[in-house]
Order: sequence, then C-alpha cells, then structure tokens
Amino acid sequence: MSDRPTLIVPDPGLLSSVRSRREALKVMAMGGVLVFLPAAFTACDNNSTTPTGTPLPNTGTSLVIDFAKGDIAVLQFAYALEQLEADFYTKVVAAFGGSNLTAAEKLVLQDIKYHEVLHRELFKAAIGSTNGFTLTPAYPGLNFNDRLAVLNAARDFEDLGVAAYNGAAQYLSSTDYLTLAGKIVSVEGRHAAAIRDLLNPKSGDFAPKTFDDAFAPLKVATAAQSFIVDRLSFANLPAAFVQGPNNNG
Amino acid sequence: MLIQSLPVIDSIDPEILATVDARADEIANGASVSRTTAALLALGSIPIALGALAKDAYGQTPSDVLDVLQFALLLEYLEAEFYSRGIAGAGLIDAADRTIFTTITAHENQHVAALQSLIRGKGATPGAKPNFDFTAKGNLPGFNFSAGQYETFKALAMAFEDTGVRAYKGQAPRLINDKAALTAALTIHSVEARHACQIRRLRGKKGWITNNSRDDLPAFTQGIYDGEELATQGGVAIATLPDAANNGGMAAYTEAFDEPLTKAQVTAIVTPFLA
Repeated sequence: MSDRPTLIVPDPGLLSSVRSRREALKVMAMGGVLVFLPAAFTACDNNSTTPTGTPLPNTGTSLVIDFAKGDIAVLQFAYALEQLEADFYTKVVAAFGGSNLTAAEKLVLQDIKYHEVLHRELFKAAIGSTNGFTLTPAYPGLNFNDRLAVLNAARDFEDLGVAAYNGAAQYLSSTDYLTLAGKIVSVEGRHAAAIRDLLNPKSGDFAPKTFDDAFAPLKVATAAQSFIVDRLSFANLPAAFVQGPNNNG
Repeated sequence: MLIQSLPVIDSIDPEILATVDARADEIANGASVSRTTAALLALGSIPIALGALAKDAYGQTPSDVLDVLQFALLLEYLEAEFYSRGIAGAGLIDAADRTIFTTITAHENQHVAALQSLIRGKGATPGAKPNFDFTAKGNLPGFNFSAGQYETFKALAMAFEDTGVRAYKGQAPRLINDKAALTAALTIHSVEARHACQIRRLRGKKGWITNNSRDDLPAFTQGIYDGEELATQGGVAIATLPDAANNGGMAAYTEAFDEPLTKAQVTAIVTPFLA
C-alpha cells in the first residue's frame, strides 16, 4: 500500500462542502491522491444535505493488533471479525421490513445475527477492557433491502470467517483458546453452508471445496478492510505461516 | 535449504525437517535451545542433533499426532463408505438431492486419502478400513441402502456429520504442536460442519444444534448431542453477556457454539457401526 495520504471521495458533489474541500486540499498539499468512487459504490445516504454520512472503509484511525501479546492478539483478531459480522447481521435484521428476503430466509439470518452478537460479546468479555476496542464497519454501496446483495455479502463474510479461524489457530498456544476457536469456527461453517444453500439450493455450493481455506491474518485483514473504517494492521505478526491443504493462505 | 541437501536427511519426515530447519535458523539468530542440543550441534553430530531438535521443536513426540490422524481416518472411512454405498444404492437418493450427496461423497473419499497421506508422511502405516454395520447392531433393522430407505439414510448422515464436527474439535488440542496437522484437521473440521448444516436443512431442521436436541433421530444417537447444551464458554455464562437477553435465549446460546467430544465419547458413538 502507498504511504501517500489518500482521500476517498464517494461523490464529487461532496467537494462542494467546505469541510470536504478543505480536507481534499490538505491531502493534495501533502502530495496525496484523491480517489473518486463511482456512484454505484457510494453510501446510500449520499444525497443527504449534510454530507457527513458513514465514513468510508480504510479512512479511520489506526487499529493495530500486536502479536507480541500472544494469544490475546488472536482473540483481538477474532473479536474484530465478530464485530464486523455482528454489525452486518444487525443491520440485515433491522432492514427486514423493507427487504425482499423470504420469511424462511429471515429466520436463518435472525439466528445467525444472534450467534454473531453472542460471539462478539463473548470475545469482548474474554479480552477485557484493556485490550478491547470498538471497530467501525461500513458497507459502501450495499443495499440492505436487496436479498441477493445481502446473501452474497453474508456468504463472503462467513467464508472469510472460516478461513480466518482456520488460519489463525496455528498462532494459539493455549489449548483452551484453541478449543474455543473450534467451537466458533464450525458454527461459522454451518452459517456459510446455510447461506450458500439459500443462494443455490440443491447444488454442491454449500461446501465448494474438499478442504476449507486457511488464510493468514494479513490476507483476511486485506479482504475485511473493504468493510472496516478503522485502518487495520498488525505488529509483530509471526513471519511463518503454515499453509493448509489448499496452499492459498 | 541447506539442511535438506544432506543425504542423511532423506529418511526423515519432511515436515519435521521444515520445523527443524526453521528452528535451526532461529537458533542461529540466538533463539534458546536445550543444552544437549547445543552441545550436539557444536559437535557437528547432525543426525543426533536433528533428533534432539525435532523434539525441541515439537515439545513432544509425534505419537499423539499419529493417534489423532488414525482416529480421524477411522471416522472418514465410516463416512466415505456410508455415502459411497448410498450413492450406489439404486433408487435410494431422491434425484433432486443427488448432487448434494455426490459432493459429500467426493469430499469424504478425499479426506480419507489426505489422512492416509499425512500418516504415511510421518513414517507410519494408515489403519485398514474396518467392516461396518450400518444397522448399528440392529438399531436400524433392515437398513441396507435400498430404495424407500432415504429418510433413514439422511438421518444417519446427520448423525455422522454432527459426530464428525465434534470429534475433530475434540482432537484439535492434541495437534497444537504440529501446525501442519492442526491446520489440515481444521480445514476438514469446518467442511464437516458445512456438510452437517446441509444435511440438517435437507431434513427440514436448523443447520445448527439447539440445546442437546437430536431432533427426530432415534434415541440410540443421543450421545452425539449430549453436552451441546453447554451455555458457559471460557468461564463466562452466555446469559450474563450484555446483549444476550435480546439474542435468542438459551436456544441461541447453545447454537452459537459447537461442543467437542472426547475420543472415548466418539468411540462409544461409533462402536455400534463397527461390524
């Protein structure tokens, strides 16, 4: 990634606001880059008169997970992902009223929302306030009323969650935490299969691979960053990563 | 790497070698090493030092790992044979569901092959496939993959998949010092969870396990679900978490976490299926 400051401008119209223009000039003065997003990817409230909406991914404060903390870092990593998932499904459920999801699909998504919130709260309790943090998710361009958009995003989050746990487990030194991660990852695997079954019933899509992926934390963070305002990074990440059978972590 | 180019190394497990190699680099960079190993290295006794290093790197002998892999292989044999016979059973599987079962069958056969390969890679011989009794010693009288037995077949599939998830989970801690075996096992574990969810949904059930419910499975399968009702995780009662009350109650508290089974518990579940 470039070290040059970047300001992502979802809508050129935003530059007419004094605050955004000043921000843009500041960035350019620093030799930075302005990135204009196509209208399709702008936040849904971009037509509001005060363009203060949800900040865009990767524009917020720095969020560093330091692997010098050992197992706590792995829990923090999981906590970040669970915060993202819980927030996503909370918004999905909140949008049920205007959504074209079927009643049966809403039941599945409601259950998953419960599970993800409980995962998030458990990690929050396990990590404790000293090592805790609040992550700010964002879903630029995602229409929560649209069945297909919601299910596709849910599938991606669940598959990523499975690959994240499968890859990060190798950095745990406590068997208790390893078991806890195991208790959660299989539920994420069940979620992934259920969402995939909703998208493509009676097919083999529920389990698209003989072995699930195991992704290194950096690969997971890169994918998740598209939905996280905070700028996620790692310190003291172990250099070694043991690949899973798919050899794509 | 230099170490691997030495002829004496050929007979040593490549996985241990990779670990030792990495470990040797760490040592070169000042990592701590047992006094014996340091002495052996200083003496230039490569084979003996290698053995000592392997032990240093693993912190244990690989016998635990081999035991887990052989145990997993037994479960995969069970599943692979079950689905293979299902696919071969004329008129058994609804045509509309066939893709689901051919997908799972292929996975289980490949899990068998992968575990055999891991076991061979450690210089051991994979256990032979036992003979199975899918009537579970008469608990499912007459079940033989015939047309008209699809409901029983799906029920057994659910039982085996939910067992598989819990079995791998229970064995994971024994692999904690062998990251390659751990990661391989985990990538199978979550696929078994996907299978379990799919079969459960195909049967009109939730994809996740509520409390310790076996749903409509016969009573002899209850051991597969006992303990799933646990609602305390990492020493924290889920009900006491801030947002718990608004998130599904006890049903969700238990669905959100799958529970491990011990090897003894899994053995008790599987034993009726061994001829």
